[in-house]
Amino acid sequence: MSFDLFKREEKTIAEGHALLETNALPKDMQAHYEKLLKAYEKQFKSTKRLVSLSDRNEAELNKLASEMDQKNQMLEGLSKKLSKYLSPQIYRSIFEGDREVSLETKRKKLTVFFSDIKDFTSTTENLQAEDLTYLLNKYFSEMSKIALEYGATIDKFIGDAIVIFFGDPETLGVKQDAQACVRMSIAMQRRMKGLQEIWRDKGYEKPFEMRIGINTGFCNVGNFGSDERMDYTIIGGEVNLAARLESKADPGGILMSYETYALVREIVAAEELEPTRVKGIQRDVRPYRVIGIYDDMEPGRFIHKDQDGLLLMMDREKLTTNQQRHKAIAELEAAIKILKS
Amino acid sequence: MENINIEATERSPEIHFDFGSNTFALKGESYPEDVSTFFGPVIGALEEHLSGLNGASVTFTFDLIYFNSSTAKVLMGLFDTLDEAAENGNDVSIIWSYEEDDDNMEELGEEFGEDLEHAKFEMKAYAKK
Repeated sequence: MSFDLFKREEKTIAEGHALLETNALPKDMQAHYEKLLKAYEKQFKSTKRLVSLSDRNEAELNKLASEMDQKNQMLEGLSKKLSKYLSPQIYRSIFEGDREVSLETKRKKLTVFFSDIKDFTSTTENLQAEDLTYLLNKYFSEMSKIALEYGATIDKFIGDAIVIFFGDPETLGVKQDAQACVRMSIAMQRRMKGLQEIWRDKGYEKPFEMRIGINTGFCNVGNFGSDERMDYTIIGGEVNLAARLESKADPGGILMSYETYALVREIVAAEELEPTRVKGIQRDVRPYRVIGIYDDMEPGRFIHKDQDGLLLMMDREKLTTNQQRHKAIAELEAAIKILKS
Repeated sequence: MENINIEATERSPEIHFDFGSNTFALKGESYPEDVSTFFGPVIGALEEHLSGLNGASVTFTFDLIYFNSSTAKVLMGLFDTLDEAAENGNDVSIIWSYEEDDDNMEELGEEFGEDLEHAKFEMKAYAKK
């Protein structure tokens, strides 16, 4: 059965011609009718051409759309791969168009985290390259996962060291950023303990031990480098201080500056250490060793009050002898007496 | 006449012609490589069937989301054929179904329906699936 898309129009034209051939029309109408039929035929031809052109254009557009789709998928795949070389916040801000990719920096108060592995060189000198790769990758993967959970910006990995900061490009406020950084550091050290057990079970004699330094202060943050190749990073004396604190931290420990401690002391139990001088920093540095987050620690161990005009921190684990307790009671009673007078 | 059931492809619509119950449906996207080859046999069968009907109740549902210009021409012809069937003493209902936010399909349905003189015409919007 044949099918013609325009059979109705063709039928009309055929009927028109048949009528003309009969010469049944009045003479003066015959010429007009012939003219009208010709115009209809012309119009019909144009319609046919237009439909065919429109179909071709649509097919071309569909082809282009499908090619665009494929290209988009390819770009999406590529950008996904590229994203692994960037901090997710930076990746997001670039791809969402919020950030200019140009050599621009700004001064901002950030909390900077610096960590490395204690005695990395001597710990790893007897390791096979494959073992070292496994250990390092596992260590970096686990630490990065935790960092991202806490909203950190992972700046870079330098050998066995990790540089992380809070406060750019996203910030919850200076205080919240500092608290998130300390919470993250505690979570990392906790995870390291788990990893050390796994590594020991696997036969690694001296599993990695991480040291962490934290400092809060004004840094220059942004794109450094050249127009062709730039790095989103931080620079400044406060960054160096975080690195210096890290080098003084105990293995498995976290050391923070007073500037960070002042922002987190409501939630973090810490022990003040002797003021110290560090290379490149003019002032004395007062380091604080992180003991833990009050909420996470054993109930009743700490009595902690922090309000305007009163700062009380009692670690009952350190008041075990009668002498220690009596001394503490005397101090508290003397303070109460002054307060009441 | 044997019923026609054709599954949709990437370029051609789903077709269900039930000649026993006189219910017909065309659904999906339509931009076949060769419109005449795809639609020729089914439209031919429908025209033959409708030409033999009198006093019958006929329902044709269009549920299309995209079609090209040649398909538009096929649809216009189909509307004419259905309108003629209604003129010839049949109760013909044409249902134009479209997604509620598809302005293009809504407008096309309204335009196609304008030329009907004998068949009943109904526009039916449905929520996006």
